[in-house]
Amino acid sequence: MTIPQVNVNGRWLALSDIPVHTTLLDFVRDSGLTGSKEGCAEGECGACAVLVAQPGITTPTEWVAVNACLLPAASVDGQEVITAEGLGRADALHPVQEAMAVRGGSQCGYCTPGFVCGMAAEYYRADRDCTHAGQDHGPNGFDLHALSGNLCRCTGYRPIRDAAYSLGTPPAEDPLATRRDEPAAAPVATEVTRDGRTYLRPRTLPDALRVLAEQPETAPVAGCTDWGVGVNIHGRRADRVLAIDRLAELRELEVHADAIEIGAALSLTEIERKLDGSVPLLAELFPQFASRLIRNRATLGGNLGNGSPIGDASAALLALGAEVLLMDSAGRRTVPLADYFTGYRESVLRPGELITSIRIPLPLAPVTAFHKIAKRRFDDISSVAIGFALDITGGVVRRAHIGLGGVAATPLRAYATEAALLDRPWTADTVAAAQQVLRAEGTPMDDHRASARYRAAMLGQSLAKLHAETTEGAVG
Amino acid sequence: MTDMATGTPLSRVDGLLKVTGGADYAADHNPPGLLHAVLVTSTVSRATITGIDTAKARALPGVADVITDFGGVKLPFPAGEISFFGQPVAIALAGTLQQAQHAASVVAVRVTEKPAVTSMDDRQAIAVPSEEVADYARGDADAALKAGPIVLDNSFTVARENHNPMELPATVAQWSGDELTVWDKTQWVQGTGKHIAAALDVPESSVRVICPFIGGAFGSAGRTWPHQVLAAYAARRVKRPVKLVLTRKQMYSGVGYRPESRQRLALAAGADGRITGIVHELKTETARYEAYSEDAAELPKMLYTSPNVRSTYRLVPVDVSAGTFMRGPGFVTGAFALESTLDELAERVDIDPVELRLRNVADRNQITGTPFTQERFADCLRRGAEAFGWARRRPPKARREGNLLIGMGMASAAHPNYMSAASAVARINADGTAVVASATADMGPGTATAMSQLAADGLGLPVAKVRAMLGDSTLPTAPMHAGSATLASIGSAVHTASVAVRDAVVRMAVLDPASPLYQADPATVTVHNGVMSAPGHGSERYGDVLRRHGKDSIDSTQTWKPGDGKKASSYEFGAVFAEVSVDIRLGLVRIRRMRGVYDIGRVVNPKLAHSQAIGGLVGGIGMALLESTARDHRDGRIVNANMADYLVPVHADVPDLEAEFLDGADTASTPIGVKGAAELVIIGVPAAIANAVYNATGVRVRDLPITLDKLL
Ligand SMILES: Cc1cc2nc3c(=O)[nH]c(=O)nc-3n(C[C@H](O)[C@H](O)[C@H](O)COP(=O)(O)OP(=O)(O)OC[C@H]3O[C@@H](n4cnc5c(N)ncnc54)[C@H](O)[C@@H]3O)c2cc1C
Ligand code: FES
Ligand code: FES
Repeated sequence: MTIPQVNVNGRWLALSDIPVHTTLLDFVRDSGLTGSKEGCAEGECGACAVLVAQPGITTPTEWVAVNACLLPAASVDGQEVITAEGLGRADALHPVQEAMAVRGGSQCGYCTPGFVCGMAAEYYRADRDCTHAGQDHGPNGFDLHALSGNLCRCTGYRPIRDAAYSLGTPPAEDPLATRRDEPAAAPVATEVTRDGRTYLRPRTLPDALRVLAEQPETAPVAGCTDWGVGVNIHGRRADRVLAIDRLAELRELEVHADAIEIGAALSLTEIERKLDGSVPLLAELFPQFASRLIRNRATLGGNLGNGSPIGDASAALLALGAEVLLMDSAGRRTVPLADYFTGYRESVLRPGELITSIRIPLPLAPVTAFHKIAKRRFDDISSVAIGFALDITGGVVRRAHIGLGGVAATPLRAYATEAALLDRPWTADTVAAAQQVLRAEGTPMDDHRASARYRAAMLGQSLAKLHAETTEGAVG
Repeated sequence: MTDMATGTPLSRVDGLLKVTGGADYAADHNPPGLLHAVLVTSTVSRATITGIDTAKARALPGVADVITDFGGVKLPFPAGEISFFGQPVAIALAGTLQQAQHAASVVAVRVTEKPAVTSMDDRQAIAVPSEEVADYARGDADAALKAGPIVLDNSFTVARENHNPMELPATVAQWSGDELTVWDKTQWVQGTGKHIAAALDVPESSVRVICPFIGGAFGSAGRTWPHQVLAAYAARRVKRPVKLVLTRKQMYSGVGYRPESRQRLALAAGADGRITGIVHELKTETARYEAYSEDAAELPKMLYTSPNVRSTYRLVPVDVSAGTFMRGPGFVTGAFALESTLDELAERVDIDPVELRLRNVADRNQITGTPFTQERFADCLRRGAEAFGWARRRPPKARREGNLLIGMGMASAAHPNYMSAASAVARINADGTAVVASATADMGPGTATAMSQLAADGLGLPVAKVRAMLGDSTLPTAPMHAGSATLASIGSAVHTASVAVRDAVVRMAVLDPASPLYQADPATVTVHNGVMSAPGHGSERYGDVLRRHGKDSIDSTQTWKPGDGKKASSYEFGAVFAEVSVDIRLGLVRIRRMRGVYDIGRVVNPKLAHSQAIGGLVGGIGMALLESTARDHRDGRIVNANMADYLVPVHADVPDLEAEFLDGADTASTPIGVKGAAELVIIGVPAAIANAVYNATGVRVRDLPITLDKLL
């Protein structure tokens, strides 16, 4: 094993002497690169965003913007990282920096380095269609969702959007653009131990399962979006951290005749781009899930692994009738997602067991929708999340799967509502009756996000909305 | 001069540093030997501390000290007691942040709890008069309410809000003998220096505070908070430099908030819409250990002609941390009640809301009776209505697009043009460059940029030759960077100093037989690009005359003082227009477009002013629709003390926003004709949005924020 090190802005920095729970943000800042800022330490503000070179979808390598505050520094062993300082200097500005300076996209400036990195990632996205404007897209094809995880409290965002929409394409000789044509750094096996704690990145899935079998208290981590919050906000310090996010076995996406199988360690962004709209329900979900920065790291394995009652992905996957594939050193098993959750943040997952993939049966139901009720358009936690997958043939509901998040201690299937729809005509009367049932599903709570009354009302409304959309073709 | 720098949309002078990550904020300083400090804070709202167990923390690797006795330091709350949830009770110090965090997490604080009241609505919470805002009456407002004929009498509530700038509060303190240097996040370097010196009982002159960049503050870094004092205190105790950065969570109880408020606003009017009486009864929450009042009573008293007004302001002391001013303090709160009520009145008397306001516009401050230095309130209303397309507004609930109800609303905004005495130094160097400096700050509006522009014009130099310095307590005296007073005050000082030093060089030249300007009338000398010239005389550079006199540079420090304000009242005005859509099935409100039209005197930099104004509109959108500090009154904890649950607007919440400034300069207020803008631009926003929501849905929401539940 070589000495753990990371290339930051073209310079190799040793990772061997850092405490295991040091974040990439603290690491770069302690290395003197104080441009990246901490605004929240929980993935909400994007002030810490940096670029990481990762295996790409349309080019061998892509520059991906991530929340440095959530990543363990050790996780970028062998990788290339670029911070705002590495993009350009005051006397040799990067085009993104120039646009931000000229358009006034920086006011107090604290959010700026993070915005610059998020914007640069989109600037370098090879499949950005530079001639296509559209909803949330600039005339240069800039997808505003690229900045959905960056908060600014000063500018009112307008000058930032102006800067983003003014960007051209990278010139041919741009080093970060040409870097995309070479493969990304291969995953390396990592072991960092300090103060009695260890960070491990095994080479293969069997290696990972062996470690987990021998030391079941080892915490597997994938995208680390939950890990980072746990460390920074809740003071969690696992003694052994096992990184599974680069295991090739967990990073496949295969379309079989009877199912789509999605590797548990693919990021949501990777899944979104690989599926490319072929699962409409998920295509509707992804833009509403957290922010681009989070989606660039967050995995389905982690989303199910944390067992959160408001997991957005669960609501969608329940509607799709998904199954969870689990594996430990002794073997594999498959569990329907509807049976996976057993209680508040509890599941059938055994110590030492990993989620390897999520299987979505084919064919897909023809009528699907994902409704996320939240106050903000980007980057907000759901008050309720509802996934619908219906088969309506000849005006009659032949199949109905409804997944709910945020209405009980676990995500759940709305079985009673499904029964109220099944084999009934898809009419306003059926819907009105089913709405009553849907309102009573789960045990919604009052909290600062929404009242129980509101949550229940929204459940009912969402079915009405779906009905309206399927019958009027209206969207709203 | 034709090519004035003032009035041009110059890009921010520190923009290059900011986009490349080179701007250094307080937490970016790491002096050698630094220890990281983490505060241990209380988890109850009221108690007596009986003991603090630090043994476990001290035993951890890297831990240098755990300080639990704050003896010898003056803090605003009583020692040995807990006065609010989140109060600092100990400081853990260690070599790395991780170690300090871990140490802080294992410090055990033993307390004897006492009954606490944290809600201003609690029956045990007793309102008391504010010492700062006296009761006010003119005429007999209660009689006017009885007389009618139109009477509206409603209650309004505004939730507590936190400033939530993106930068975390941070202090790095380093002692060298008896001298203390502090890199701090502060809107007032000299104030912080003074307050730290007083709290530690050391001479003010021994404390230097440095803060060249502020990552936003909105009022939260105005006064000096306990963590700043404690960082300096800890550094003295451990004899090492100390860095203390509050967590986002700690900000919610550590650096103030906009207090929660309750208002009764009753208004009487004639059928012609003329206001005949206003009764305004206002309460805000406050800390028991420290009273904070704000100017929420001001606008209902001063803005519209009403012969009868009665206004009372009460504070409700409870067991919470201290509040402080937050963007548009008080004014935005009072304006919400007043401008919502005017909207209701407009409907009752069937007069267009803009016309209704025009009927009640005052030409003088209704409290003092003094005329305004410049009164363009009506112009703002008219121009805004025209530019926004206000004529297209329909009656309530009349506009529908699919499942969306569409509505328009508007509100007035006004804010005093606060000004304070301020000093600045301007220096002309023989090499043709210049420096202008003052101990002010720049939390984002572009103080340094505007200073450069004003100095360039005062000096007759191109902006590129002028460097502005700020954020160091050793520079000439400046007031707090707050209340939108900075540009008017510091700008006037910069202008005065620049003109003074320019005049000094001109005087040297006209008295110097070797100068081509010898014996020219100084009044006829103009300076352009650093070259002095006068009709009938030759010309020469500043540098030429300075060098002949053997000088590398010449400077002048000047203090500017505002007039006493007895003859005229200086105010900024504005009108805000909003169009919203409300999804009838989900109750979701989206802003479609907004426009603010403002009278802020001369606009020094339209690019910066525009983004400042739009930032204010977005702050107002947050206040109207999203922001609320939620508390659990069983123990007083803040339940959404993070950026995931305390929602501020994101990119997608922000539609097309426009801000426009009326031409003109208010030279009666300042020599540079400038008035403030930063507070003004948030003031009418929540009311305009609430009024638009009413116009869309027919639902009047009098409680901010307007959350989904309230519209179902
Ligand atoms: C700012 C922010 C916004 C968010 N917004 C949303 C949102 O809108 N909707 C939503 O649903 N969630 C949201 N989340 C939660 C989180 O991003 C997701 O749950 C994410 O999918 C977790 O994936 P990860 O790979 O990052 O998990 P990690 O942090 O790596 O791991 C999370 C947990 O899952 C376990 N785990 C990970 N992979 C596996 C595996 N293959 N097998 C078994 N166990 C595994 C880990 O042991 C750990 O306990 C948000 C989080 C943040 C920080
Ligand atoms: S610091 Fe806020 S997202 Fe990382
Ligand atoms: S410029 Fe201040 S937070 Fe964006």
